[in-house]
This record gives sequence, C-alpha cells and structure tokens, in this order.
Amino acid sequence: MKMLWRRQKIDISVQPGVTMGVAGSSTEAGVIELQGVECSYPGSDAPAISEFNLLVKPGEFVSILGRSGAGKTTALRVVAGFERVSSGYVRVGGQLVGSSFVHVPPDQRRIGLVFQDYALFPHLTVAKNVEFGLKGLPAEERRVRIAPVLKMVGMSGYESRYVHELSGGQQQRVAIARALAPDPVALLLDEPFSNLDRQLRTALRRDIKRIVRESGATTLLVTHDREEALATSDRVAVMGENSIEQIGTPEDVYQNPASAAVAKLIGPCELIPGVFRGGVVVTEAGVFPTRVTTDIHMADGQQALALMRASELEIVLAGEEGQRTSTVEMTEFEGEFTEYSIRLDSGTLLRVRRRAADGIDVGSRVTVHTRGDAKVIVFPV
Amino acid sequence: MNISGVISAGYKSADGKRPPTLLVVSASVVAFAALIPVAYLLIRSIGVGSEWFDIIWRQSTAAVFGRTFLLIALVTVISVIVAVPVAWLTVKSDIPLRRVLSVASVLPLVVPSFVMATTVIEMYSPKGVLQGWLSGLGVERLPDIYGLGGATLVLVLMTYPYVLLTVRGALRRMDPALEEAARAMGYGPVHTFRSVTLPMLRPAIAGGSLLVALYTLSDFGGVALLRYQTFTSTIMIQYQSSIDRTLAAVLSLILVAIAVLLLLGEGFTRGRGAYHRSTVGAVRVSRRINIGRWRWAGAAVVGVPVLIGLVIPVAVLIHWLVRGLLNDQQLLPLLIPARNSLYISLLAAVTTVLASLPIAILSVRFQSRLSRFFERAIYIGFGLPGVVVALSLVFFGINVARPLYQSIWMLIFAFVVLFLPASVGALRSSLLQLNPRVEEAAQSLGRSQWRVIFSVTVPLVMPGALAGGAMVFLLTMKELPATLILSPIGYRTLSSSIWSAASEAFFAKTAAAALLLVLVAGVPTAYLTLRGHSDGVDESDRVDESDSQSPAETAEVAQ
Repeated sequence: MKMLWRRQKIDISVQPGVTMGVAGSSTEAGVIELQGVECSYPGSDAPAISEFNLLVKPGEFVSILGRSGAGKTTALRVVAGFERVSSGYVRVGGQLVGSSFVHVPPDQRRIGLVFQDYALFPHLTVAKNVEFGLKGLPAEERRVRIAPVLKMVGMSGYESRYVHELSGGQQQRVAIARALAPDPVALLLDEPFSNLDRQLRTALRRDIKRIVRESGATTLLVTHDREEALATSDRVAVMGENSIEQIGTPEDVYQNPASAAVAKLIGPCELIPGVFRGGVVVTEAGVFPTRVTTDIHMADGQQALALMRASELEIVLAGEEGQRTSTVEMTEFEGEFTEYSIRLDSGTLLRVRRRAADGIDVGSRVTVHTRGDAKVIVFPV
Repeated sequence: MNISGVISAGYKSADGKRPPTLLVVSASVVAFAALIPVAYLLIRSIGVGSEWFDIIWRQSTAAVFGRTFLLIALVTVISVIVAVPVAWLTVKSDIPLRRVLSVASVLPLVVPSFVMATTVIEMYSPKGVLQGWLSGLGVERLPDIYGLGGATLVLVLMTYPYVLLTVRGALRRMDPALEEAARAMGYGPVHTFRSVTLPMLRPAIAGGSLLVALYTLSDFGGVALLRYQTFTSTIMIQYQSSIDRTLAAVLSLILVAIAVLLLLGEGFTRGRGAYHRSTVGAVRVSRRINIGRWRWAGAAVVGVPVLIGLVIPVAVLIHWLVRGLLNDQQLLPLLIPARNSLYISLLAAVTTVLASLPIAILSVRFQSRLSRFFERAIYIGFGLPGVVVALSLVFFGINVARPLYQSIWMLIFAFVVLFLPASVGALRSSLLQLNPRVEEAAQSLGRSQWRVIFSVTVPLVMPGALAGGAMVFLLTMKELPATLILSPIGYRTLSSSIWSAASEAFFAKTAAAALLLVLVAGVPTAYLTLRGHSDGVDESDRVDESDSQSPAETAEVAQ
C-alpha cells in the first residue's frame, strides 16, 4: 500500500488541543469504520446497504465505486449521520457514532461533507459560507482562519461574492473549502464531479486530489465513474448489490478483480464463456492463455468466463485454415487508436483497441489473440 | 419524560428523520388552535339534541338550501364558461393588447364583493344609470337586479378569475408536444382542443371551480346587498336578530358539511389519470395560434368581463368620490377606520406567518402521518366560511375564553384560522424550492437542527414568508363577516365602514373608503397573484408532487 498519509498538514484546527484530523493520530484504528452496517429506508423492504464493511485509515483517500442505486450515497449518509443504521456499528474518529441503539446527530460528528449539488448557502457570501462551520469564534479570528483554506482551493479574492455569481467549478471549490474549514475528522465527497462537464471534470479532479493531499484530510469519495475512482484514490472499494465486493489499490483492483461483477465496474470489458484447460481458456473467439487471480482456483475442464479487455487484445487477418475466425463489424477511429467491433459467430460483440495500420476493415475475417504476453483473467461460472 | 418528549418520540417521519421537539410542539399548538372553531361548533350543536332535526327539516331551511345550491351551480358554471375561453385567448392566441388584457382579466378579483354589489346596484338597478340611458331609447324597465340575477352577476364577476388563474397556469405548464402529437395524428385544431387540451385542463377547471363554489358559499356582503338569501346570510341574520344562537350554530354546521362535500367532490373529479408533464426538462413555449380575423372578437371576449367587472365599478366609485368632494363631503372620518384596518391586517399577517412556519416546515421536511394531520387541520380554514369561524369564536369567547372576547385578539385569531392555508401554501412552495441538502450541509457543519432552521431555513424562505404575509394582510383588509361579528363594539375598519354605509344604501358615502380598499388591498393582491402565476417557468421549476396542485397552493389563490 502506498504511504500517502505522512503528510504536512495545514494547521486550521478549530479547537486548540483537540486534534481530530490526521496529524497526531497514532492508532492504527480507522478514522471511518463501518462494521456489518445495515440501513434501510422506511417503506422499502430491501435494505439500501447491508453487511457493509469499510475501514478508512488516517489520511487515506478511499473511493466507493458503484452503480447508481447500489447504495453508495446511503453509505456516505450513514457516516455523516443523516441516516440511522438498523444494525452494525459506525465509528468516526474511533468513537461509536451509529448502531441500532446509538445515533450521534450529524452536527456532533465533525465531518466535512461536500454534496453532489454543493448545497452552498445562497443567502451568504463565499466568506460567510466558509465561516459557517466556525461558529463560536470571534469574527476576526474566523476571517483569519478562512484565508488559508480559500487560498488552498484557489478562491482567494472571491470572499464577498454570492454563490450565484460563481461558476459550477468555483462553487465546487467553495463547497470543499467550507467542508475543510472546521478541520473535520474526515471529508466526504458525494459524486463531486457529476454536475460538471467533461473537460472541467478532469481538471477539477486533479485539483481536488492536490487539495486533499495538501490538507491531509482523510477522505471518502463516492462515485459511479470508474476513471474518477481509479485516478483519485489510494484505495478503491467496489460496491456490488448493497455491500462492498472488493477493496484495494486502484492498480490491484484493476489488475485482479475479485469477480466478474467487479471487473465490469472497474473497466470496459466483455465476458465471454469458455472452458478452462490448465493454463488456457478455450472460447469461441479463440484459445487464450490465462492468469488465475489470487482468489480464484479453477479446476481443469471447468466452465469459465474470460475477461476480454479491448486494450489487451489484438486481431490479425485470418489466413490459415482451421482457425476460428470472426467478422469486423464496425471500426471507430478515435485518433490515437481505432476501436474494432468484432462480431463472434454466437452474436457476442468483442472490442479490440489498436493502432490502425494494416488493411483490416469492416467485413474482414480476423482471428483474435492476446496482445504480447498479456493473459486473460477467468472467473468460474 | 415530558409531554413534548412523548410527542416527538412518537413522531416517525417518512424518511426516518426526527424533527426538533419544539417544532412538533409548536405545530401541534397551531393545528389544535385551528381546529377549535369546528370543534366548538360541534360541541355546541350536539348540546341541542333533538331540535337538530326540526331545524334541518324546517321548510325555510330547505328553501335556503335550494337557493344556495342554485346560486353555487349558476356562478360556478358561468365562471367556467367565461374563464376558459379567456384563459385560452390570453395564453395561446394572438389577440391584440394581449399582455394588458391578460393582467386586466384577473383584476376583478380585487374588488370586494360588497363594493362590487354597490356598483352593480348603482348601474343596473331599476333606478340605475343604465336605466337612465336606456329610457331615452324607449326601454321602460330593466329586469330586476335584486335577487338571483344580481347575486349571480356580482359573484361571477369577482370569482371567474379563480378559474382563469388555475386554467391559465395549466395551459402554460402543459407540454405543447401533446397538442402537436394530436395534430400530427391528423386531429384538427377544434378536435385537438376537445380531445387533448380540455381533458388536460380538467383538474385545473375543477380546482378553480372549487374555489368559486367555496367563495360563493361563504360570501356575505354581495348576496346580502342584492337581497338573495343564502346559508351564510341566513346565519348572519339569525345571529344578529335572535338571542338564542342555537339555530345559527346548527346552520353553521350544515354550512361546514356543504363545504366538506364540495372539497370531496373536487377530489372525485380528478380521477385516476396523471396530469403532470410526462417528461422532464424545460417547458417549451408553444407558438401562439394565429386566429386571423377573429383577433378583435377574441379581444372583445376577454375585454367584456374586464369592462363590467373592473372598469365600470372603478368608474362608479370615482364618480361618487368626485361628486362627494364637490359637495364638501369630509374624508377625515375615514382616518381611524383606515388606521384600524392597517393595524389588524398587519397583526394578522405577522401572527399567521409565524403560526404557519412550523406547519410548513414539518409538512415539507419531516413528512409523516402527524404532519399530514396538521396540514389537513389547517385546511379547515380554507373550506370554512368566515361567518362560521366568527360565530364559533363568539361562543368560544363567551363560554371559554372570556378575556379574549370583545378584544381584537379574538378577531386576529379568526383571521389566523381563516388565512393559515394561504400563508402555509406560500411557505410550502418556497420550502419545496429549497434543496434539503443545504440544510444538511449546515447540520454537518456543526449546527443543531433547531439552529439550522433559524440560520438557514428561515432566511431562505423569507420571500415565501413575505408573499404569504402580504396575502394575509390583503385578505384581512377585505374580510367582512368575521370583522362584523368579532370586532369589539365601536371598532371600525374600512370594510365595516363601507358595509354600514352601504347597507343603509348610502352608497356614495362609501366611495372614498371603497377606492382606498381597492387601491391598498387590491393592487398588491393583483401583483402577488400575477407574480405567482404569470411566469410558467417559475411554476414548473417547483418540485412536482404527484398531484397537479396541492390544496395549499390552491388555497394560496383563494379568497
């Protein structure tokens, strides 16, 4: 695991003597800890999350990746205290804040929350928004304290603006500043980029990663965008139906997905059926060398699903007799690469991503291979 | 555990959130206060025992029943017939002066019924202005204005705007694609209107009709001046003329029952279809239809009700005023009633808005069975005629709340009960526009729910609170029956001064007061009503509830 959490921290703690942030936290206990949590909304039978386990260590940046409706926002709201849990334990900063019999209200949890739609106070200026969580301090001191935070998010000079006078990206920055100003135990980000257009999204993603590192805040981000999860976080938690299926570093989860469902969530791919035969998988697209991931042990002759990623495949024009061939149905030129859609005889569509150079065109008969020494991952059916 | 603790512990909102205890307690107080008039009326009438049936079956009661229903039916039907074409013409067609006419067509709403009645009598009575003009043409005698005809005319003129407003709102919100789809499938314009537009307007027409019917049921000033006896005026006469007020109480209860029936009937017409837009996204403004050589005829259709309902009454008032001033009539005696009117209206507005805050916040933010009960409880004022509320509070004052009786606080209490729905409606729509995440953000920044209400919710719903307060202010200024019954002896307001002069047929004396009332109360009412309903974008931005319009929003337009 990367050691990202020994970082310099800007001192903006509100109550001197109470260090709730990262710095000085010596225990290995998590800043956010969910244990077997179940939470359901009244009126619906199925719980939104159940058997939910997650541990976020001090200074870590963890993303929860899941489809919409998987319950990821519920998990975030459970941590923040807006939803009560029906079983399990929620701990924040080592303190039990939620269980079937304990519920600490959101205002006493010291959690910084950045909402999907920012939820800035429209009746207050930028400065007043950021000061909002610093109640109890004299006005002068609040002003002093918000300056470094606004500077960190690159919004110095906008103090007296109102929210509606800012662009979406700027509102986003103010929302983060507001959440960070009271020096929260942890920062929670709910789909923070979903309201922004694509270009701005990438730029802001980088910015937020930098800001969060600078502040040293322990961060939990919720998203349905795999790029976002992979690019920003130290660890990615992939959600299946209402609980976490796999958690690990982005590289690890991408390379070794624990299940077909995780693989589908973590990157574009096709899963095609085949039979496992000691080191290879035999499919209708061809025979591919396999890489058995650490968790999966397959028996010879077992039915399997082969994970096909466009960047790990290669196609060549069919030449020799006796090999399985498929048809190129469509090509999409994307600049650096061309994406080929290959129609297998069963009707399944495979995608192959490669530089277009040779004469492979729509209608060509081709054979599919793995690129270089790439191996495919297989899952038991 | 104290009582408040028990109340809030039993409070389970639909999304599992628990509201601050103090909020639930204050909402309960308001809701139960709003229920006092009906509850007390029930107690009072049950005490009557078997006399009940005698009163109900008495011949005269049946006759009043029949007259009331006849008037309601006539006024409602004619209002719809007048309002729907006006709505269509001002929204969808290209009539000349469309904008001006569009605003003016709502304005008859601002003329209080007793003022409208005096001007109608002046114009169309057997000795009226019109007769004077027509006798030159050989018309000997106009049909008698007193009775059903005159009452219908007055009420239609001042209530057709209710239907107009709701139908216009529906026309604006309606997705033009629906009509276009019908046209594309080969329906002609008339056929399209009949088979697509009109059915889509059904809930709006029903909602507007409900307001018309309820208003007609509760009106006192207009029908009394035109000598048409309805339930409300019978109750008023009973109250004023006899010492035994049991009859008035029983009749009031019947009046409540009729109002409830009307409310239920409206719910019934909605049926099971859905009427809201089927797609999300911005409302596309449909193109206005070119009605060609019918343009001026269209303008006339819109213009005639404006002429009769607004231009002529105001002209008559100005005429009286000028004549009075030329005859050295004093305006000074108006000062005290005007001051009193302003004072009680302001008081009523502030009290009502404060009372509606907890109800509105609970019903929007912490929905539960209890919050729905609170909301229903305050809608009572919406269906309840002012005369009933006032009468019940008289009994209540004499028997229970002696110190309040004959004080202006009893009057304020009546106004709060009557106008809570309007104020809650305005606050609700403000709250619905406020993203709940904003309040959650405040809470996650370390403020308790109770403090969040004051530091975030209240400042942000201020526009709604102001609109609601203004509405209550204006409604209070124009109110007549409750003012007459509950004002302390000798306490005169603008409306009661106009009434006392008018009921003795000194119409001309009322001109200054009436004009003042129309200007002070009417013009802002018009502004508020138009602001709330004119731009369709604003409306459609609201968080849509499953019903096309909540009763509170309907109530906002009412009275």
